[in-house]
Amino acid sequence: MKVTYNWLKDFVEIKLSPQALADKLTMAGLEVKAIEEKEGDFVFEIEITSNRPDWLSVVGIAREVAAITGKKLNVKSLALNFKNFKHRALNINQFNINIESPKDCPLYTAKILHNVKVGQSPAWLKNRLEMVGCRSINNIVDITNYVLFEQGQPLHAFDLDKLSSKEIIVRRAKQGEKLVTLDAAEKSLTKDILVIADKNNPVAIAGVMGGKDTEVTQDTKNILLEAAVFNPAVVRFGRQLLGLNSESSYRFERGVNTQAVEFASLRATRLMQDLSPAEYIGEKSSGRAGKNKKNIIFDALCVQEKLGIRVPNVQIKTILTHLGFSIKTKSKNALIIGVPGFRPDVNCAEDLIEEIARIYGYEKIKTTIPAVKPQAKFAGNRELVLLTKNILTGLGLNEAITYSLIDRELLSLYANTDAVAEVRNPLSKEQEILRPVIVPSLLRCVSYNLNQNQELVNIFEIAKVYLPAGGVINEELHLGIVLCGERNLLLEQGKLKDKMSLLHVKGILEELASRMGIEDVAFSWETPDTAGAFVNKQKIGIIGCLTQQVLGKLDIKHKDVFILEVSLDKLFNCVSLKKRFTPLPKFPGIIRDISFVVKSSISVKEIIDVIKIAGKPLLENVEVTDYYQGRQIPAGSRGLTISCFYRLLERTLTEEEINPVHTSAARLLTEKFGATLR
Amino acid sequence: MDINTLKTQIESEILQVNSTEELEAFRAKYLGRKGALAELTGMIPQLPVEQRSGLGQQVNALKNNLQALITERQNKLSGVSAQQNVLVNCDIGMPGIAQDLGRLHPITQIIEEINAVFVNMGFVVADGPEVETEFNNFTGLNIPLDHPSRDAFDTFYIKPLVRNSEIQATGDRRPATGGLLLRSHTSPVQVRAMKSRKPPLAVIVPGRVYRPDAVDASHLFMFHQIEGFMVDTNVTFSGLKGILETFAKEVFGEEIKMRFRPHFFPFTEPSAEVDISCIICKGKGCSVCGRKGWLEILGAGMIHPNVFKQVGYDPKKYSGFAFGMGIERIAMLKYGINDIRLFFENDLRFLKQF
Repeated sequence: MKVTYNWLKDFVEIKLSPQALADKLTMAGLEVKAIEEKEGDFVFEIEITSNRPDWLSVVGIAREVAAITGKKLNVKSLALNFKNFKHRALNINQFNINIESPKDCPLYTAKILHNVKVGQSPAWLKNRLEMVGCRSINNIVDITNYVLFEQGQPLHAFDLDKLSSKEIIVRRAKQGEKLVTLDAAEKSLTKDILVIADKNNPVAIAGVMGGKDTEVTQDTKNILLEAAVFNPAVVRFGRQLLGLNSESSYRFERGVNTQAVEFASLRATRLMQDLSPAEYIGEKSSGRAGKNKKNIIFDALCVQEKLGIRVPNVQIKTILTHLGFSIKTKSKNALIIGVPGFRPDVNCAEDLIEEIARIYGYEKIKTTIPAVKPQAKFAGNRELVLLTKNILTGLGLNEAITYSLIDRELLSLYANTDAVAEVRNPLSKEQEILRPVIVPSLLRCVSYNLNQNQELVNIFEIAKVYLPAGGVINEELHLGIVLCGERNLLLEQGKLKDKMSLLHVKGILEELASRMGIEDVAFSWETPDTAGAFVNKQKIGIIGCLTQQVLGKLDIKHKDVFILEVSLDKLFNCVSLKKRFTPLPKFPGIIRDISFVVKSSISVKEIIDVIKIAGKPLLENVEVTDYYQGRQIPAGSRGLTISCFYRLLERTLTEEEINPVHTSAARLLTEKFGATLR
Repeated sequence: MDINTLKTQIESEILQVNSTEELEAFRAKYLGRKGALAELTGMIPQLPVEQRSGLGQQVNALKNNLQALITERQNKLSGVSAQQNVLVNCDIGMPGIAQDLGRLHPITQIIEEINAVFVNMGFVVADGPEVETEFNNFTGLNIPLDHPSRDAFDTFYIKPLVRNSEIQATGDRRPATGGLLLRSHTSPVQVRAMKSRKPPLAVIVPGRVYRPDAVDASHLFMFHQIEGFMVDTNVTFSGLKGILETFAKEVFGEEIKMRFRPHFFPFTEPSAEVDISCIICKGKGCSVCGRKGWLEILGAGMIHPNVFKQVGYDPKKYSGFAFGMGIERIAMLKYGINDIRLFFENDLRFLKQF
């Protein structure tokens, strides 16, 4: 909303400089976004909050200025003009107004003026309109716009002779009806759109824009001046449907004051008589201006209760009076506040408290630190999520955050897109689907980072995924990890390349589970590319390697990408963070290694499980300490070294005790797995 | 090997020994169980009898000599600093060797920082679903469905879900659910928390929110908010100012100034937009603050009595305040980031700066 310094001065005495006034307005809730000096005046661009239709007018803002500066609003000068204002009521046969539904249009007034002389507006009028960003058209149209800006009441002038009947009908459009609007575009109408029509055709979109056929031109002799109130929701819906926007619709959507319609209409009529030799014939109206005055019973003590400061009752009354409220004092603190028609936003005591606080000044409310009473924590896994994030960053992974919405094409590379939750009103295809998995979004990051020549992309994300089931959308917390490339390690012995592999994602999950107190973590192949990840025998997700086909579509070339996606909700169900101390062993143990060659098809886990059982009870632990494939090893086989750790808690073991156990373990390798000892 | 050659070798090699570790290796090489001297001693039985005692004496002499050399070297080594032996070949200019740590996303870091500020003041953290009902997102917060105030909360709606069995049974695509949306702010958690508990309440809610905005340097269709609210029998606007000032000073620094401007939100009355003095120009006016000297960082106000009515609290008995802020905005200001899209591109060069 634009308003000028001098225009405001028409209605209130201002002694503040434009900048000082702007600061005051901003601190009272009318945020001045910019001030522009123009031809000896200052244009203020003010952001108007949606609850204040009265601020969409010069008079409304002047009222605010008056309240802030303690001056009186002067609108009487306008009203006085209406004394000796001659007109006669139109004969019902001469003109008729027919409102189809009072809900759509509670009040419609039409004033008829004959023998207008359409021409250029005087300089002052043109000038003011142009200052606030409105193009001058001709004197009649300019006057309707001037009153719109001044009073906040949209008006429309029809060329009376171009209406096909002496009747105005306010009705919903018929499906398929068409209207060429003032912007010269033909609009197809629907029954959701409210129109002004003559006997035959729509002539305007109610509250939004007039029709081209009935517009006021140089040749217009007689006009019908419309001043009405339309249902905000209907105007809003129709305007959105047609993709239109106008100063009129902006105000109707926020609600215009029915009690001010007549005043604005008279103001425009008066200006037309002043600026063109128009002959005012009379008026016709249908519907009624609301007269019910809202009263709020107000306890002045609640100002202090809500704000935490005492505002004297005298000051409360002054502020409210300046803002146009009427006050009756019942007793010392009990007031009856009458709400003026231009304040539909004020409905309860809190609304009045805001008015008082605004004008009193938020900055004058001193700060206190309230005592926050202790309360129970909310259920949730926030702490576990943070622990997980810290473990993962400790393992060298970087946290990513990607959009929860995803495009179908990207998702379909990776997952089934049949049973997914979809957005009804996406702006682009990137916002189509509520993702059921995280990994595809991360793959896009891999592709992006590889393009930036990153040698190692190791990222994770923790976010909710959306799983429709049985008519509801379940939100499940997931962890997604992608690894690609190699980590270059410069060690004392020189450069080593740590190339990412499936065992890296496996290791991450094992470490995470272990730090969460979970012992039973297992993996088993499900497809040639993916293995299920199991915790306490329950499947929580997968680890895997992406196929070249998928990678090709993501433009990832000559690289392997390893992924992990698990349900953290399921993982967290198994968490056991209770920690318990195990006494340190008092006696040393003995390490014995076995190196052997065995078929590659035999899993290390299988071998270790067998040795573990065979070594009981002396064998405390077995682990793989080396593996190799190469020239000395036959094809299809690999060399392994396993390290057996023997110990008893109650005494030191002797070589004699270990030897037979270790020998039989080694023999088991040859007998059971066909291994060749080295 | 000839015993004299061995002797020469030992004498020259001991001079190369520069650390106790190397000295131990040297000792093992010559005096160990399988060392060079043991090997020589092992050869003695194979020699002709007349040569045996000679070699035996020579080996013994060498052994004594070697012991003396080692002791001498040992004494020498223990007398010098580490740099002169262990570090003799270390170039301190070489890159250090360490486990590579990953980074938390800057948004996570800001959320944790802000959480900590409020938790220290006694607030608890709550969480809520991202797929919400129209009631929790709008109606419960006093946002009428057909009001222009809805404009500011443009929303992604979710297509009604259809069960396969229903399609087969009826042949039509009858919706199985309706009125679901992606929350456009974290405020629905206010409704949920108040419905599930009685005052006193002091809660903060960080989380993802969604609005159908076209993406540019300052808009995204998904971003993060932190919502906070407090309800008790005597909560005041003055207390709201105090809590938020504490927050701003903790996050942006002690010297920061704050101002409350009246504003409109359907779920608070009175409402305010809150500015801090520009952290770039310290309030003098620069391009970041649009020459105003102030930066808007959050919206706040006293919880509207209609919200209390919706959740079954008596607005005569209780009062409360609520506030909400965009995390990306806070992070951008705090870290000097000029394009909001950077947060979701996940460029490792970006992530590794935080």
